Amino acid sequence: MAGDLIVDSEIRVWVFLPIVIITFLVGIVRHYVSMLLASQKKIETQQLKDSQMILRSRILRENARYIPKNAFLIRRQAFNKEEDGYLTQKRPAVTQNMMTDPSMMTDMVKGNLTNVLPMIIIGGWINWMFSGFITTKVPFPLTLRFKSMLQRGIELSHLDASWVSSASWYFLNVFGLRSIYTLVLGENNAADQSRQMQDQMSGAAMAMPQDPKIAFKAEWEALEIVDHQWALADVDNKLFGEEKVKTD
Amino acid sequence: MGVLKADIDQLRKWRENNERKSRETLDIWLDRLWLNIDSLGNEKYLILEQVCIAALDCHVLSVAKTCIENLYKEFPNSLRVKKLEAMHFEANEDFDNALDILNAIIKVDESNSAARKRKVAVFKAQGRIVDAIKELTEYLKIFMADVDAWQELSELYISENDFGKAAFCVEELILHNPHNHLLHQRYADIKYTQGGVENLELAKSYYSQALKMNPKNMRALYGLYLTASSLSTSSKSTTQKKKEATKIVEWSLKQIKNKYADADVMVSALAALEI
Repeated sequence: MAGDLIVDSEIRVWVFLPIVIITFLVGIVRHYVSMLLASQKKIETQQLKDSQMILRSRILRENARYIPKNAFLIRRQAFNKEEDGYLTQKRPAVTQNMMTDPSMMTDMVKGNLTNVLPMIIIGGWINWMFSGFITTKVPFPLTLRFKSMLQRGIELSHLDASWVSSASWYFLNVFGLRSIYTLVLGENNAADQSRQMQDQMSGAAMAMPQDPKIAFKAEWEALEIVDHQWALADVDNKLFGEEKVKTD
Repeated sequence: MGVLKADIDQLRKWRENNERKSRETLDIWLDRLWLNIDSLGNEKYLILEQVCIAALDCHVLSVAKTCIENLYKEFPNSLRVKKLEAMHFEANEDFDNALDILNAIIKVDESNSAARKRKVAVFKAQGRIVDAIKELTEYLKIFMADVDAWQELSELYISENDFGKAAFCVEELILHNPHNHLLHQRYADIKYTQGGVENLELAKSYYSQALKMNPKNMRALYGLYLTASSLSTSSKSTTQKKKEATKIVEWSLKQIKNKYADADVMVSALAALEI
């Protein structure tokens, strides 16, 4: 049954290859456009300070047993002091000034300009231009469930599921060209749409500058409950203990 | 062409592994690369930066100057190149100009850690240790997790005989890297130098820890011996403590003797003299 359908070779020249080339070129153009539009992100000193502070306090918690009790208490006191410890200080809320911050807004607009717009325009155009073609066939049998994925734009119930329609071929290209882009443009390029999409889905909350207060609160709590056990309390005896075993 | 590529690969390897190898880098540059400066490809500017620092290390200022000029042609406003220029002034002992440039960099980009660190280096080179300490503490207020900076600060404090603060810095180092025996030994050194029964007890513990981590640490062994012997003769410690300390003295003395007997000192000493 698979052999009875022969696809015109004109389709290969005028549909199959153009879609690959168009998606690829659009990716390259996107890469350079986003490089043009990218504004260098400036790191706020305060933000830097916060993250380093959290790092330091975490390390203090983890390795506290290697420093004397006094030293540990001094540090904890400095971090957690009620009035002006670093972890307990009062800060104005961050979320409010984010919306009013113009640089944040332009960043978002730029992101949309390079990610969403081409996706919609090119996708729509390809759908319209090359609609209704069977372009290729995957070399293995598939179940009927795959029909909706691989045969978008073709509603033929008798067609074998391993045939791929032109619109689906476009989507396969969008998601599958990642390694080609890495080859051509190097790592961390901006051409890859699939990664952008992932960012948009999962990263919507992450992209917002985190409120350090919450992290500080958690760190403060964790630090409060650390019970300092000095690892070196009995180290000299241990040293001789080992020695004794050896000499005996 | 093959040689050129091998050179570029070699330089890249050193750059990525943070190996300084200044003399070697400079040799490669002088032997072959500087004639082919335009065929270095897209790594040209990275190589220029690397060679510039290597040249400053070896005090070949003319090479550094050409590198900086080349970089300026391409990146007239780059802070990274400005930092190199400041380093060039620094190597020339023209500290005021260097400081001016560094201050300008920090003004533009507050979070530029390299420029702040260079400023400390300038103060240190001028012998203004107090200023260096002040600058470094300012730096550490922002970059609190910078281990190297803590180490530098501890050394600066030691050179100023401020052992309490130096001890604090070394504590910070131990927190970041608790399995380095040298840090424990350093901490014990500081505590031993500070003196007093309490500090000596601490020193004893930390020397023991260093020895436990690396039984070959001779300095720690000797330090343990010294600490224990001063503990055993100290008038303030109890008889029980004195007894323990005496035991440690005996043990460490035996260890030291064994080590030297094993090492066959005479042979190695003669070998070192190449007689």
